[in-house]
Amino acid sequence: MSETQQVPLEKIDDYRWRIPKSYKPGMRVPGLVYADEKLLKDIYKDKALEQVANVAFLPGIVKASLAMPDIHWGYGFPIGGVAATDIENGGVVSPGGVGFDINCGVRMLKTNFQYEEIKNKLKDLVYTLFSDIPSGLGSKGDIRVSEREEKEILLKGSKWAVEKGYGSEDDLECTEENGAIQGADPSGVSQRAYERGKAQSGTLGSGNHFLEVQVIDQLYDREACDALGLDLGQVSIMIHSGSRGFGYQVCDDYTRSMIHCLQKYNINVPDRQLASAPVNSAEGQAYLGAMRCAANYAWANRQCLMHLTRKVFERVFAMSWQKMGMFLIYDVAHNIAKIEKHIVDGKEKLLCVHRKGATRAFGPGHSALPERYKKIGQPVIIPGDMGRNSYLLVGTKKAEEETFGSACHGAGRVKSRTASTRTTDLNTLLKELESKGIIVKASGRGTLVEEAPQAYKDVNDVVDVVANAGISKRVCRMRPVGVIKG
Amino acid sequence: MKNYELIEHTADVGIRVKAEDLKGLFENSAAAMFDIIACRVNAQSSCQSKEIIIKLESEDLEELFVTWLNELLSLSSAKELIFYDFKINKIDRNMLQAIVAGEEMKNYKVNAEIKAATYHQLKLEETSSGWQAEVIFDV
Repeated sequence: MSETQQVPLEKIDDYRWRIPKSYKPGMRVPGLVYADEKLLKDIYKDKALEQVANVAFLPGIVKASLAMPDIHWGYGFPIGGVAATDIENGGVVSPGGVGFDINCGVRMLKTNFQYEEIKNKLKDLVYTLFSDIPSGLGSKGDIRVSEREEKEILLKGSKWAVEKGYGSEDDLECTEENGAIQGADPSGVSQRAYERGKAQSGTLGSGNHFLEVQVIDQLYDREACDALGLDLGQVSIMIHSGSRGFGYQVCDDYTRSMIHCLQKYNINVPDRQLASAPVNSAEGQAYLGAMRCAANYAWANRQCLMHLTRKVFERVFAMSWQKMGMFLIYDVAHNIAKIEKHIVDGKEKLLCVHRKGATRAFGPGHSALPERYKKIGQPVIIPGDMGRNSYLLVGTKKAEEETFGSACHGAGRVKSRTASTRTTDLNTLLKELESKGIIVKASGRGTLVEEAPQAYKDVNDVVDVVANAGISKRVCRMRPVGVIKG
Repeated sequence: MKNYELIEHTADVGIRVKAEDLKGLFENSAAAMFDIIACRVNAQSSCQSKEIIIKLESEDLEELFVTWLNELLSLSSAKELIFYDFKINKIDRNMLQAIVAGEEMKNYKVNAEIKAATYHQLKLEETSSGWQAEVIFDV
């Protein structure tokens, strides 16, 4: 695509590239792309860099429009983008900077099992997980709630689930924002959003959402692994899901209303999907209040999914989940806007940090971290594709200084879903996964070929960049052995 | 034959739709969207069809188009229906009135989830032979 090849990139070092502010009149800050030469080849294939430049138009944006190495072409914002706006200086919030799947995120829990101990029961385990955990498009769960209860979910997030008996207090401590971001305002949520959310609590969804049984296959930081109770060959679980139809509706409702804000607040952006309003405006506050409801809905959802997972393990192995050591390592959001304090030009500022396909990555000692992670830094969970690896990293001080405490969120797509479907043969794919010892169950055959490993960048390359740039530190790597796809 | 083409997009999926007039463009685009979402598998089954009246207003044609598609996605998810018939009774640049018919999801094989229609690279053009639209979905 010739248009994208014209986006100029100035090399800062091997892992950092700048899109100069002069590239497009209207850019308020430069673009800053975290990538190496290898990943740049893929990044150049679509229009993601153009989108990084477009995000730099947002009023109040500070430092730079950031792109993580897993960046790819989104709609409006790129996926893998971070943008922070200065609230006191007219900084805006944009629903497009969060996305439709508000608080799409991932959680990782460990077990006491070594792979060899469960190997023979793996098939049974994967099939039971698949049958007990609602997945697929429009999937509906057994956890049905009344509208009054749904409102409670929007305020309490994961805590609602824990109070219902779906988990423990400990889980809350190991969840970003303790599983409930403050400032949620259910009065700004439309009736339709309630309706869409009612049946979908405790459901995985479809597309790139998944539940994986994984095995730790490499350790990078022995001290951090010891602190987390992780070792080679140990079985862990990863759950990737979001706020389902509830979040889509909130985003849709507010994108529409914010398009009208562009004129009202004289905001000039090159793409309507970047519609935004000042954080300090009635519209901005209303969106944030509703977005937080969706974020809490998503945390409750992942908490329910983890509960269902623990129940399946209990059935298959006839042991309590506590005895199997199925404790939550951490849960991170990777589609969200947060109000956070960061240092900009030597001064502490209150910023609205949009992470769209990016993970918070606070370093050791940060006040937002629970006591147990103060020493090692915040766990950063990076899912890869179903055939290769996933990573557990920790955040760094450098991330706080450079990227508003953010890192990548996954491998990042490189092939469109249609191209992947066209070029992937389902049987070949299944054989390939089987030869690697990976058992897969999916609701739709379509999802499998769309989500084939070839459709993604190699997560190892992506993590190399964030580690080498110093914005996160590797703790350990996992490989999948059981995959449940929506 | 399908009356739309797919547009390649790394993370998402888009469609290009043509029609003789604006009514047709809105109807065909909705049909294309639900063609991506699901296909009917249970042709014999007699299941109740449900008709819903939709009235929308907006500032301009582009907004009307995106709002129309998103309203259908939203209704489909909230009412647990797959829509298969779309009739625009009245349309101009700022409003439309339509009747759509949907059936329960059990008669369909669901292929893809579309989260929303987006404004990104949205195109609505009057051409020599009628109208053409391009829209990218978040999937």
